[in-house]
Parts: sequence; C-alpha cells; structure tokens
Amino acid sequence: MITFEGVTYSYPGATDPVFQDVNLSLPEGEFVLVVGPSGVGKSTLLRCFNGLVPHFSGGKLSGRITVDGLDPVAATPKVMSQHVGFVFQDPEAQFVMDQVEDEIAFALENAALPRQEMRVRVEEVLDLLDLAPLRERRLETLSGGEKQRVAIASALALRPKVLVLDEPTSQLDPKSAEDVLHSLTRLNADMGLTIVMAEHRLERVLPFADSLIYIPEDGGQVLYGFPEEILAHIDLVPPLVALGKALGWSPLPLTIKAGRRFSRRLPIASLMPVKKPKADFLGQPCFSVEGLEVAYGSKPVLRGLDFEVHPGEIMALIGRNGTGKTTLLKSLVGLVHPNRGQVRVLGQDIAGMEVADVCRKIGYLPQDPNALLFADTVMDELRITLRNHGLTEANAPIPLDALLACLGLTDKAQAYPRDLSVGERQRVALGAVMVTRPSALLLDEPTRGLDYVAKQRLFELLRGWRDQGMAVLLVTHDVELVAAVADRVMVLSQGEVIARGDPAEVLGTSPLFAPQVARLFPNTGLLTVAEVLPALEIAAVA
Amino acid sequence: MTRRLLSTFIYVLTSVIGLLSFIYPFIWPETIMASAVHGQAHSADAPLMLSVLIGLCFVALLLEIQGDSVSTKFIALLGVLIAINSVLRFMEVVIPVPGGFSPLFFLIVMTGYTYGGRFGFLMGALTLVVSALITGGVGPWLPYQMLTAGWVGLTAPLCRPLVRMLHAEDRWPEILILALVGAFWGFFYGAVMNLYFWPFAGGSADQYWEAGITLADTLKRYAVFYVATSLVWDLARAVGNTIMILAFGAPTLRTLRRFQQRFTFEYVPGVSEVA
Amino acid sequence: MHPAAWFAWLAGAVVAASSTRNPLYLVVLLLIFVLVVEAVRSPNVYTPIPVAPERFMLFIVPVSALFNAVSTHFGDTVLFSLPDFIPFFGGPVTAEALVYGATSGLLLSVLFAAFAVLNLAVSIRDMIRFIPRAFYPVAVVISIAVTFVPTTLRQIQKIREAQAVRGHRMRSLRDWLPLFMPLLVGGLERALQLAETMTARGFASNATPEKNAFTQVGTVAGLILVLAGGLLRMAWGEALWGNVVIALGALVIGGVVWQMGRHVTYTTYRRNAWTARDWMVLTGVAVTLVVLFVFSDRLARYYTPYPAVALPVFEPLIGLALLGFMIPAVVAVRGYLESVQVPVMEGQRPS
Repeated sequence: MITFEGVTYSYPGATDPVFQDVNLSLPEGEFVLVVGPSGVGKSTLLRCFNGLVPHFSGGKLSGRITVDGLDPVAATPKVMSQHVGFVFQDPEAQFVMDQVEDEIAFALENAALPRQEMRVRVEEVLDLLDLAPLRERRLETLSGGEKQRVAIASALALRPKVLVLDEPTSQLDPKSAEDVLHSLTRLNADMGLTIVMAEHRLERVLPFADSLIYIPEDGGQVLYGFPEEILAHIDLVPPLVALGKALGWSPLPLTIKAGRRFSRRLPIASLMPVKKPKADFLGQPCFSVEGLEVAYGSKPVLRGLDFEVHPGEIMALIGRNGTGKTTLLKSLVGLVHPNRGQVRVLGQDIAGMEVADVCRKIGYLPQDPNALLFADTVMDELRITLRNHGLTEANAPIPLDALLACLGLTDKAQAYPRDLSVGERQRVALGAVMVTRPSALLLDEPTRGLDYVAKQRLFELLRGWRDQGMAVLLVTHDVELVAAVADRVMVLSQGEVIARGDPAEVLGTSPLFAPQVARLFPNTGLLTVAEVLPALEIAAVA
Repeated sequence: MTRRLLSTFIYVLTSVIGLLSFIYPFIWPETIMASAVHGQAHSADAPLMLSVLIGLCFVALLLEIQGDSVSTKFIALLGVLIAINSVLRFMEVVIPVPGGFSPLFFLIVMTGYTYGGRFGFLMGALTLVVSALITGGVGPWLPYQMLTAGWVGLTAPLCRPLVRMLHAEDRWPEILILALVGAFWGFFYGAVMNLYFWPFAGGSADQYWEAGITLADTLKRYAVFYVATSLVWDLARAVGNTIMILAFGAPTLRTLRRFQQRFTFEYVPGVSEVA
Repeated sequence: MHPAAWFAWLAGAVVAASSTRNPLYLVVLLLIFVLVVEAVRSPNVYTPIPVAPERFMLFIVPVSALFNAVSTHFGDTVLFSLPDFIPFFGGPVTAEALVYGATSGLLLSVLFAAFAVLNLAVSIRDMIRFIPRAFYPVAVVISIAVTFVPTTLRQIQKIREAQAVRGHRMRSLRDWLPLFMPLLVGGLERALQLAETMTARGFASNATPEKNAFTQVGTVAGLILVLAGGLLRMAWGEALWGNVVIALGALVIGGVVWQMGRHVTYTTYRRNAWTARDWMVLTGVAVTLVVLFVFSDRLARYYTPYPAVALPVFEPLIGLALLGFMIPAVVAVRGYLESVQVPVMEGQRPS
C-alpha cells in the first residue's frame, strides 16, 4: 500500500541528505511507529507520505514513493488529502474555525462535497472519535487531548486510508495522551485504518505497534521491521526494553505483562535495594511553605499546604492534571498571591516582593520555554536576563561561557534560539534563568516533548546542580523522571498533599505512579534500571 | 502589460473617487447651496452617498488586490498577524493612552513594508474589520477606517526605493524613514477620519447657504475645526507611531525578514529542487 | 432570523435615517431601534456591544449641539454672544445652531443604534459567512483571525509570566519589547504550522477567484461610472441622475464580483432557513421605504432650523410608516429561542 524505493532527501540549501536510499513497503492496516533521535528527520519522512515534502518546504527529493496508488509529489497535497490524513504536534495551531463542528466541516467544504454528504461524514467522524458531546463547543474551551481528537477528526472527515501523525501526544498530559492513543488504536483495530506515527515516548505506544521504522543518526540505513527486532538495534528505549536487552530477555517484552513473565523468575523479590544514604539537611530550607491557601476567585485551588525543600535535594511534585501543581510553583515566586499562608524563600517572606526580585534567587523554568526566548542569539538571551537584573557580563555571577559549557551549548552560542531543537531550547531557557546563580530551581513539566537522549542530559544536569547544593522542585507527570532524580516525592490531589516521602515508598506501591521497573518488581523499592542490575549482582553472589 | 495598466487604473480611480468624496464640499460648495435653494437639500444623505462611494471603492480595490495567487501561507500568516494586531487594539482600550494613539499602525506599516503592499492593505483593512467584529463595534464609520488603514499598508512599501538608494537596509536610516511614514499616516489618518465626521459635527455647507460663504471661508473653517478638535488627537497618534517604530522597528523587521523565505516559498516542479 | 434579512433591515434603516433631519422622526426611529436592540439581545449570541445606544445618545447629542453652537454663527435667534476676538468661537451663539447640532448628534445616534442591532442579532460566524464568494480568501483570513484571538490573549499571559521570571520589569517603553517579540515570533511559527495543516487538508487554489483582463475591465468600467455619477451629484448637483449612474456603476462592480466568485468551488455546511418571519420583516421595511420616498413629499422630511428655529412638522403617515422597522422586535424575540443553525436535512438542495 505504501512503498518507498531508493528515496533520498536533503533540506533546501543543505549538502548532506537527511536520509538516503530508504526502502519501505508498508502493508495496509498496519500501525507503524517511526522512531529515532530528535532532529533526525522523522517529521520529514512523514511529510513525504502526503506530498508536503517537497511541496510545502522545498528541498531535493529523489526516488519513488507510492501511497495508495498515487505519487504524492505528482499528485500534490491537495489530492493526497483525500488519501492521507495528517495530524501535527501543536494542538494550538491546527484550526481555522472556532467551533468543533465547523472545523470538521471546513475540509469538506473545501472539497466542495454536497451538503448531504457532509452531514453524513461529520456525524460519522464525531462518533469515531467520541466527540459528539463536544460538537457545539468552542475549540478554545477544549483540553489539549480533545483538541487533538478534533484535529484527527478533521483529517478523517475526508476518509483517507492512511493517517499520519507527527508526535501527536508530545504536548499532552498522560491522561489526554491516553485518550488520543485509545482512539487511534480503535481506529486501527476496528476500521483497519493504516496509521503511521512518530513518537518519542515509546512506553505508551509500543504495545500497539505492528512495526517500527527506525531512522538512525548520521544518515545511516533506515530500518524497518517488527518492534522486537528493531529495538535490539537502538539505544533509545523505555526502561522495560532496556532491562530486557541488558538481561537478554527474548523475545523482547513490549508490555509490562510480557515483562512480568521474565521478571517473576528472577530472585529479586527477597532483596532490599541498595539504599541511598539519607541526606542530612543542615541549615535553613530553601523554600518553606506554611498553610498555603490559594484560590482563583471563589474556587479554591490549594488548601493548606506545608512543606520544605532543602538545599542539595530534588523534590518532585506529582498528581493528576488540574490539582494545582503549577499554581503552587507560581506562588513560590510570587506570580500568584496566596489568600492565606506564608511562603519563605531563603528565610525571607516573599509577600510584597516583586517577581523579578524573587527570581534573582530562584530560577523558574515555565512549561513553555518558547514564551521566554526572543533574542537573536543564545548568548544574547543570557545577556538579556543579566541586564534585567542590572548586572553586566563583567560582574555576572557565573561566567557565561562556563554556563554554556555546563548546558552543552557552547557550539550554539551564536545560533538563533528558536531554530534549535526542543531539548536545546529548553537548555537555553534554563540558561536564561540560571544566569544569576540562583540557589534554587523550579521546573514545570521539564520533560514534555523531550526524547530519551535529551531527558538523560536533563537528569545529569539536575543531579549535577543538586550536588552543588541547589534545591530543586520539579512538577511533572513523568514518573521515570521522578524515579531517576528525585530525593523526595509529594503527591498532590485536589490542592492537598496526600502522600510524601521517599520515592521508593511513594511510587513503588502506587498503582498509578509506579515507574516501569517498579511494576516489574513490585514491593522491592527498585525504581530504575540502574538500580536493578547491581541488585541482581548482589542476589547472584548471595 | 495591459494588465498592469488596468491595475494602475483601478488604483488611480479608487484614489480619485475616495479623495473627491471627502473634499467635495470644499471644491463645490455652490452645488450644495444651489441644491438647497431648490429645496433638494441632501444634507442628511450626503454621508450615505459617501458611504456608498467609499464602499464601492473598497470592493473594487479588494477585487484587485486579492485577485491573483493568494497562497495558503499568505492567508494563514495574515490571519494570525491580524489576530495579534486586533489584540493590540484592545490594549488601546484597556491602557489609558493619550489621544488617538493606536498601536495598530505599527504592524500595518511593518508588514506592508516587508511583505508587500497587498499584504499591507489587507492587514490594515482586515484588522479593523476583525477588531470591530470581536468588540461588537461594527458601525457606519467602518468602511472609511478600512479603506484608510488599507491605504496605510498599501503605501508602506513605497519608501523601499528610497531605502535602497541610501543603502540603508538593516541600518538605522531605514527605521527612521519608516518612522516618518508612521508619523505621516498618524496625521493623515486622522485628517481623513475627520472629513467623515465633519458634516455631522459642524461643517455641513447646508448651514451656510444663507450666508453664501466662499470656498476660502469653508477651508478656513475646516482648518480651525481640525485644530480645535483633532490636531492634538492626531499628534498623539503620529508621535505614538513614531515612537513605536523607533523602539520596536529594528527587531521586528529582523524577525519578519527571517521568516520571509519560508513564507514565500512556492514549489515549482523541476525548478524548486535546491541542492 | 436569517442574517440576510437583518442586513436588509439595516440597509433600510440607514437609508430611512439618512433621509431626514427632522428630530421628531429621528426620535421615533431611535426609540424603535432601541426597542429592537433590547428584544434581540440574546444570551446565546456571542457578541458584546461596547456602548448602549441610549448612553451613546446621551453623550453625543449635547456634545454635538454645543460644538455646533459655538462654531457656527448663523441664525436669527441669538441666545448670547461670545467676544469677537476669539478666533472661530467668537460671535453670536444662536438657538438655530444649537438645534442643528443636536439633530446631527441625533442622526449619529440613530445610525449607531441601527448598527447595534446588527451586532447583536447576527453572530460573527454568520457575518463571515455572508461574505461573497469572490472574497473567499478574505473570509478565511477573518475566520482564522477570530479563531486566534483567544490563543493570542493566552499567549500574552504566558509571556508576561515567563519574562517576569527572568527579571523583566515594566519600567519604560523599551520594556514592552520582550512582551511583544515572543508574541510576534510565536505567531509567525504558528502561522506556518497552520498553513501546513490547511495544505494537508486540501485547501489550495480552488480558493482563489479568477481575475483576468475581462474582470479588470469590468472593474474599471464600474469605477468610471461611479466616478461620473459622483461628479454629477457633487459638481453639478444632479442628484437623481447622479444616483442612477452610481447605481449602474454598482451593478457593474457587483457583476464582476459575481463573475469572479463563480470559479471558487466550495460548499457550505450550515445554512440558515429563510422563514415567514424574514418575509414579514422584509415586507415591513419595503412598505416603510415606499411610504417614505414615494408617497411622501420630499419637503415633508426636510427640516432645518435656519433661518429661524421653528417646531418641526410631524406627519402622522410618516410616523406610522416608520413603525415598519419594529417588526423584528415582535418576531425575533421568539425567533431566537427557537432558531438553531442546523444544516438543513433532506429535501434541500445544496446551494
């Protein structure tokens, strides 16, 4: 149904091709995942399916592509829209109309279908995506997951045989991502829709994939095959698969259920994990919150929180969406004023202080680092923050070059920040808030949109800063992140802390928040692959 | 060749009609007096006629401008930028600003200058439409605002040859020239809008037919009227535009130019393969 | 009620209001329009209006009256005199000028009220749908802009917070730049993404109306006619002929619009039904206009306070005819509770 023969593509103005001599043959009805490191060309490959490459952005494409009997390059995206539906990453930038039903009908109106036909298709697509109760709603009132489902519906209204998605869940929280994936798997299983999807967070999708396309770095050969085969070749894998590879499990398990079959047989259950020495917290806490109550209008968001975060520790805050985690972060810097309670930063009550003053001592990385960046070069971004605080490069608390080196951005010092990859942009934003050498760091959903490599880098950065004595407070849905770096965890629900303590205790036993390793080895307190292997050695010796 | 001639005709004709509609009381006050004498006073429906003429001009201009090759990228870019500009207009209401200052014109001039007169015209006219729609302020003065704001954007690229002559691309003289454009339109826009309100507020020649005043007198009265009501207002707008362009013009131009390549790319099979 | 009926009502209202300066008629019209505004105000329709017409009137009438009184010095009934040496404002202040100014203000208020009705009665989407085929790209641009306004507002909030955490303070003009630039760049990026999405959904050159030498010639011809008609009216005072020629020009341009729209292929999903209510409103407007222009003497509508202010004449026929504009107040109230813009089912031909 979809074939690529000797396809090579290079970006406009580039000398080296992004990928070369790609040969694929995808049968109908498959659920295909496209994986690879960030920036390697996954998006570009996907855009070859419906002619967006080269029609929309140019570049040099050679080789033969056939999708549903058509050549996308010759047919143009307009014709291909009826054969290939495309959904993009950003739920905020895909809509022309402001009401759900109108948006779905827009594509049909442009195809000049008769009204009767349009009605039928709109109804069918609303049902397919469970959008019927939302049909009269304005798009701006929908959640990210609902918006993505509307985007899928708009693409499907033209009844394509193939649906291509470019990281559709990377901007979504886990619940929304799950809804979207659930819809996709239903479409694939019940309707036989061929789905081709690029995704970083393989944990969510691997169980459903029929096959994988892997694009390696540096223009190597593009691989295609069953997940178990391809995963053996690549490094960026979820913890479950990484463990499987390290322990030689065959066939590689893709689900926890499959993994348990292997993990059950290991003599780990009787082991205690290597306990981390508990840090002694001397001196005053970096943050101290007492009886914090925040309400938006009459709606209470935070109800009486008490906690402390000390220098040299990483505290993670987890909880469902909408429980007030971001509000908490904002009240720690003064962006939100509490109704009651006290927030102390480095011993000082911040009530009445300006946000800019508080942020000299605390670095805050917002959820969307794009809102921060606007300078012409990375170096300028750092300088802007310095200037805001009345400092100059000469008397900067950290020499700028050292900061860039720490963040791994030395060779990008003169690059335009907005042209960088997601991970790099995040690091530029981190640089911009760290330039005043704050004693503490607040991060809001830092792993959203990052691939495994970028995540690893972030883990290392955070651990490094923590070891230098910084206090870090993270808000996240990503339990793997928590498992990897957190020293303490707090669980927030409906504005109150319902659990706190050691990650091993809090996460290990929770059905909702347990990382993959914890699910494989319940009741052992193990959270990451790095903990499992030594524990196994000890067990083997014993 | 003929097409260009026809285009020019359309621009010229619409300008002439627009201009005449606004200034005819100065040129032909006798007609109004004469018609009043015959008991056919049209004092009240003169604004209506004005609206019809301006409306027709606008339609013709729009037909001409959006006529060919309006690509998807053009449409998407216009839409998003107009949203931003309309939101900027809110600021004018929310934040107390002096006089007629309006942050609208900044983007209209900038985008007209960078992306062309067509883009600028639509940017100007449609910003006014959209901000009227979302604030529920569609009113009888809308066509005038649309046409005049459109002209701001349409004429912005006219200063390009001057910039090129001075070799001022990406340097401060470019911004200065654009600031002058902004100042000019700050005043002129106000003057044009006043011509709309003048018949209502105090200048209809219908009042004067008794005394039989001359053109010179009418002009004098208009000048004084303008000074009394509008000069300060328009001064605020002109100064505002100038300041905005001087302060924000350079980074804005850089950004707009940075994206220009991506937006103007058009695929041509066989030619667009850039190795 | 169908949006086209509202537009027709508005056109009639504007024509009627523009035909007279008689304050009594204008007041009647104002009352009628305000009544319609109140009847039509519905919680379902998503449009605010900036100022209530009554409040607008209370402001503009005195202001206009006063301004005219001190700037125009004609008329027989002198109230008092300002010293002559003051330029422009010096001279006799007459009652006639006061009254004339008041009627000007009243006229503006009536127009304002009529437009307020439109703003409340017709939703933004319906107004956009009303744009003729030849201007489809413009309609799409407006749709996109309206859709992106909430996103832009949210972005501003996010940007303000993000800049605050890097030490940004609003001290001087330059400090607006870090708020504006991320907004602009973000907008440009989003526009690119939107263009890609639209392309992937098949939006392309079917949207462009076809402009060629033929249509351009038509436009030029129409414009020449309009110019000629305008000159006839303005320079030679030939109102009737001028109107006729202008109307001809408008027809030609309308024809060009129609022709250019023919090649734009799209269908519409939603359609408003044209019902008996719409016919009633239309009839009302037509009857009113006929009475005003055919069955009444032009002089009956004419009023001027000069040279000596006198009470205006009120002809009951005209007053009664103006009530024709009140029909929407009667039918539209119920209409709003029932009218749902559902795409029409079987039996209806696509347009």
